[in-house]
Amino acid sequence: MWLWFSKLGSPKWFYELSGKWLPWLIAAMVVFMTVGLVWGLLFLPPDYQQGFTSRILIVHVAVAGTSLAFFPLLLVSGTITLVWRMKLADMVAKNAAILGAWFSFITLATGSLWGSVMWGTWWEWTDSRLVSMLFQLFLLLGVISLRSALEDSETAAKACALLSIVGCINVVIIKYSVEWWNTLHQVSSPVSMDTQSPNGPEFWIATLIMIVAVYLFLSVSLILSTRNEILERERRSQWVQDLVSKS
Amino acid sequence: MSEKQTTTSAAFLATLKRDLLIAFKKKNDVVNPFMFFIIVVSLFPIGISPESDRLTEIAAGVIWISVLLASMLSMDNLYRADFEDGSLEQLLLSPHPLFFLVLAKNISHWLVSGLPVVLVSPLLAYMLALPEEAYLTLVLSLLLGTPIMSLVGSIAVALTVGLGSRGLILAVITLPMSVPVLIFGTLAVQSTLNSQSPLGYLSLMLVMLSVSVSLAPLASAAALKISVN
Amino acid sequence: MSSVASNNSLDANSEGIMLSARQLFCERDDRVLFQNLDFDLAEGQVLQVQGSNGSGKTTLLRILCGLNDSYAGSIRWYGQEIEEQAAAFFASLLYIGHRVGVSKVLSPIENLRWSCSLKQAVNEDQIMSALKEVGLRGFEESPCYTLSAGQQQRVSLARLLISPAKLWVLDEPFTTLDTKGVAQLESILQDQAKAGGSVMVTTHHQLTIPQLSLLSLG
Repeated sequence: MWLWFSKLGSPKWFYELSGKWLPWLIAAMVVFMTVGLVWGLLFLPPDYQQGFTSRILIVHVAVAGTSLAFFPLLLVSGTITLVWRMKLADMVAKNAAILGAWFSFITLATGSLWGSVMWGTWWEWTDSRLVSMLFQLFLLLGVISLRSALEDSETAAKACALLSIVGCINVVIIKYSVEWWNTLHQVSSPVSMDTQSPNGPEFWIATLIMIVAVYLFLSVSLILSTRNEILERERRSQWVQDLVSKS
Repeated sequence: MSEKQTTTSAAFLATLKRDLLIAFKKKNDVVNPFMFFIIVVSLFPIGISPESDRLTEIAAGVIWISVLLASMLSMDNLYRADFEDGSLEQLLLSPHPLFFLVLAKNISHWLVSGLPVVLVSPLLAYMLALPEEAYLTLVLSLLLGTPIMSLVGSIAVALTVGLGSRGLILAVITLPMSVPVLIFGTLAVQSTLNSQSPLGYLSLMLVMLSVSVSLAPLASAAALKISVN
Repeated sequence: MSSVASNNSLDANSEGIMLSARQLFCERDDRVLFQNLDFDLAEGQVLQVQGSNGSGKTTLLRILCGLNDSYAGSIRWYGQEIEEQAAAFFASLLYIGHRVGVSKVLSPIENLRWSCSLKQAVNEDQIMSALKEVGLRGFEESPCYTLSAGQQQRVSLARLLISPAKLWVLDEPFTTLDTKGVAQLESILQDQAKAGGSVMVTTHHQLTIPQLSLLSLG
């Protein structure tokens, strides 16, 4: 177990293994993405309440669900960075923060697109999910800007790891306190997503396919950007030099 | 040459005393955040409305947000001077648990920058036409909330202490983290205004305070070690 | 890469070895500062670390103090890894870095009160006599920003006189001192070695201490 763990920490090993997996992951991603998008956006029967707008939800729900995974991911990689000082964990964390910020942003964008049709407004403070997603985005931007501010890469790795752990605890507290805050201000606006969620098994199957597709997309982009990071940080090592001279 | 090693509580008290002494000698660092707080609060009626009805509505939020901004600004000098003159290294090399030494610095910082703001808040609440019955709740919520801000902000300050030009990075990191405190602080005041008991919110803030007292100094200590590395 | 040349012959056994470093490796910004670095510091020894600018002298001292943990290798304090007994190690360590740890707002006496009490209990008499000895009589109560750089350095040197620490780690302690100060510091270091304590020091200054050994980097 320990050997496996320390082997996983070796960037070279990860680079080689991920190189073998990548084609399969990409193929699976393309299949799921195509099925999900084509079926979900073009052929899914319109919801009786929402009409065709429900089709945006398929993308929105999938992206939103995935963006909840980023802080746990950062928590795990941050702990590994601080406790075992594994360089690979930090390379993953660096890209996970950037990807996480993009996912949170897309969640907000698709959410407000849907909201603009259903609620007649692009932004609604009474929806606690939008608000806590906004603050998740802010926290991720904080981690990103801390990394770009610190020059020494090792200090940056540890500092961002610590901030991610603190941020992860915070994001949970923010989520619950915003929900609470919201239930007390609910009177001012009647809108809520739950009562308007489209039903029907087709919708949920399409969403499920889309969630798998987005998770695959997340893994592929994380692996690709981490491979990039590995090449850049290990550019002086022998195996990277060999790799470059071969190609 | 056979002096006894100090007890942790003696080192804790010495650090607390030293930081208070520095604050007493560098009055600017203490007075400026305080003035900032009063000025920001005074700008709101001018920017929004002088009508007392509207001011009553926003009073708690305005005071709370101004407190957050003031406490964030004052955080900047929590570790910076010590980092620059090398005292921070001496602190890190103490045989005593860093948790208590960091806690001492946080407490001293709160005493000189948090407490004065809390004490002056009823005056500003009066100027913002907050009904009298809410004064006590406001003060209590600030009394519980400002130390949480100091403790959590201390982590971010410790992480950024090595940066030459920090600019607004401290704000970008700390302000999102203040959301829960802001929510419960303002809700407590709001519920008093609606003649409900604010005790639920205040006790929640007490829980948050005790969690931050026991965990945040650990994170600050780890952050300081990272920054001094 | 590095070598230990000693004026004193060291005992081959580990009796009296205070600090020992084995296979130290440190890399900074993709540049190897030192590798396979081995040395021992015995009781009563003064070890001067030499090397050109940027050879990692300061980094080495900070690693030994536990301020910097980006290294590989082992550092032992009386035979045990320092991480395993950090509190005991810190209690017997006194470090004065480039930044001497003197707050400019406080007076020398207030500075010493705090920095000494982080380690051991001190009384006012000790502080006063130490300040007098380093030539700061009459400046005890003036804020340190009114003192010159050399005088501020002297405040930190007063800590050496008060401290019972067995190991002193001093980074360029001579830079701002005048000739009289240099001579005084040398005799302070010598006294420490005579009393069975040890010193690790970086300086470009030629030390004339009988217990001196040299460690060259890069």
